[in-house]
Amino acid sequence: MQTTNEYNRKRFKLGLWFTAPALIVLLTVLAYPIVASFVLSFQRIRFAGQGLTHQFNGFNNYIELLKNQTFREALLRSIYFTLTEVITVLLLALIVALLLNHPLGRHAFFRVVLLVPWALAPVANAVLWKWIYNANYGILNYILISLGLVKENVIWLGKPWLALNMILLADVWKAVPFIALLLLAGLQNVPNYLYRAARLDGANTWQQFVYVTLPGIKTTLVISTVLQSIWALKVFDLIYVLTKGSPADSTVLLNYLSWRETFSNLDIGYGAAIANVLFVMMFMLSLVYIRALRPRQTATLKGTQAKEG
Amino acid sequence: MRAFKKTATRLIIRMTLAAFTVLALGPVIWAVVTSLLPLTALTSRPPDLNPLNMTLENYRLVFDSSRGLFSGLINSFIIAFFTSAVGLVIGSTAAYALARLNLPGSNKILMMILATQMFPGIVIAIPLFLVMSRIGLIDTHFALIVVYLSFILPIVIWILKGFFESVPLELERAAAVDGATPFQTFRYIVLPISLPPLFATGVFAFIEAWNEFFFAIILTRIHVKTASIAIAEFSGQYQTLYGQMLASAVLASIPVVALAIIFRKFILEGFVEGAVKA
Repeated sequence: MQTTNEYNRKRFKLGLWFTAPALIVLLTVLAYPIVASFVLSFQRIRFAGQGLTHQFNGFNNYIELLKNQTFREALLRSIYFTLTEVITVLLLALIVALLLNHPLGRHAFFRVVLLVPWALAPVANAVLWKWIYNANYGILNYILISLGLVKENVIWLGKPWLALNMILLADVWKAVPFIALLLLAGLQNVPNYLYRAARLDGANTWQQFVYVTLPGIKTTLVISTVLQSIWALKVFDLIYVLTKGSPADSTVLLNYLSWRETFSNLDIGYGAAIANVLFVMMFMLSLVYIRALRPRQTATLKGTQAKEG
Repeated sequence: MRAFKKTATRLIIRMTLAAFTVLALGPVIWAVVTSLLPLTALTSRPPDLNPLNMTLENYRLVFDSSRGLFSGLINSFIIAFFTSAVGLVIGSTAAYALARLNLPGSNKILMMILATQMFPGIVIAIPLFLVMSRIGLIDTHFALIVVYLSFILPIVIWILKGFFESVPLELERAAAVDGATPFQTFRYIVLPISLPPLFATGVFAFIEAWNEFFFAIILTRIHVKTASIAIAEFSGQYQTLYGQMLASAVLASIPVVALAIIFRKFILEGFVEGAVKA
């Protein structure tokens, strides 16, 4: 028999041992680089012989950013890309989730269908769309010409505005399944009695959707919106494989620009400054995410405390 | 009239379901078909889809050692395997401690761990690249495994935390009354009943690590190129070998798609709901 005090002390000690390795890894791989990235963005970094020379540069990297047209365009493009992607993905995912929540769509087959694009390696996905969009032999041109929708082969990735939207389309296709799965889980958590009560009150299908379904999945919708915005801001693989930023930098988004400035143009301080802009944008989005999760968090916490006490 | 309306609704729903299936699977099926056809069949108009032409020639050719796909698949496997294994060991213990060992501030720690998921990779990639170049870790399996842990650990901790919280407290109390130390309780009571979610979380981590591209392209040079990098390079160099390009894409996707389908029950119930309910 052990005393409660002794037991609690052992429990605390074990807790430290159990959390230490994971926290050490996270601190080394995340916390240190985040601070370092902040510092780097205020430096001018040059290659000298084998190593690098760091020189304090004040806000020059950031001033340069604001003056730079490529950056401003990439920023606006990223905002356009993110907004359009989030709206499209959420609408399509909601339709898919409602469809799969309907008795006719409950078959396990449709869920497997949903998992395939999600699990696909992103680079494999990019290669696949590169082939679908191929101007000469791509299936997209073939289908559209067969249907009489276009007259001759379209060079999908050759025109600035078009190329960006084709990348968007490929990304939407890959992103819808996961968000649909999230929303489906949300839909299944809406209690059935609410629908029964609404029907008793004479609500039609649309009214049930607006007054029962939407409020019931509000949290899930917020979380999906935030997660999808973050993922859209991070898009990289598709640009790398499909266009490398061409034509005329028209598919350069912030994440890609930061990578290119750092690792291709070797302007490390400038690249870090772009990365930090992206970081701030995502950080603000993550605050929304955490706020959306918090109420339930404290609710469940109180629940367990009540049980324990 | 009412019956007619119901039939019409059902018809519309069935047609939308069919359209959804075609849109979701069509591109994937097209990739598989392409990978099985010779170049001449793909470049003729209309594409010659005669099944008699189907061949595994593209698959044979992509395994040519100069393409680096074979070593890429092995590298991806090593990295994904160790990332998920280490992630499970240190992630499950951390999750248990944060869920059940009454650590002060565990809720704050959990929120911070969640927030790390929101960082753009590029922010940590630049300093990590500089440090790793200095200490000679670029182009090693170790570098990628450690960096991948930074996004695998938060997922593992959050999923397993949810599971550990659902383990009845009575079980652990009974063990404590019988004189078990907290570690023994974890090792002999909690761990054995947690094997299915542990394994499934490992699978999820494996898929994520296997599919990663951004850090791989920054932190590798020659020796530890992953399958994704081999494919990206291949699609850049041999733009016109469509069949082979798709064959390598299919090869790199088979393991992860198969895992996702086999473990769909967990992914659908465990992970997705965990993300919503938190």
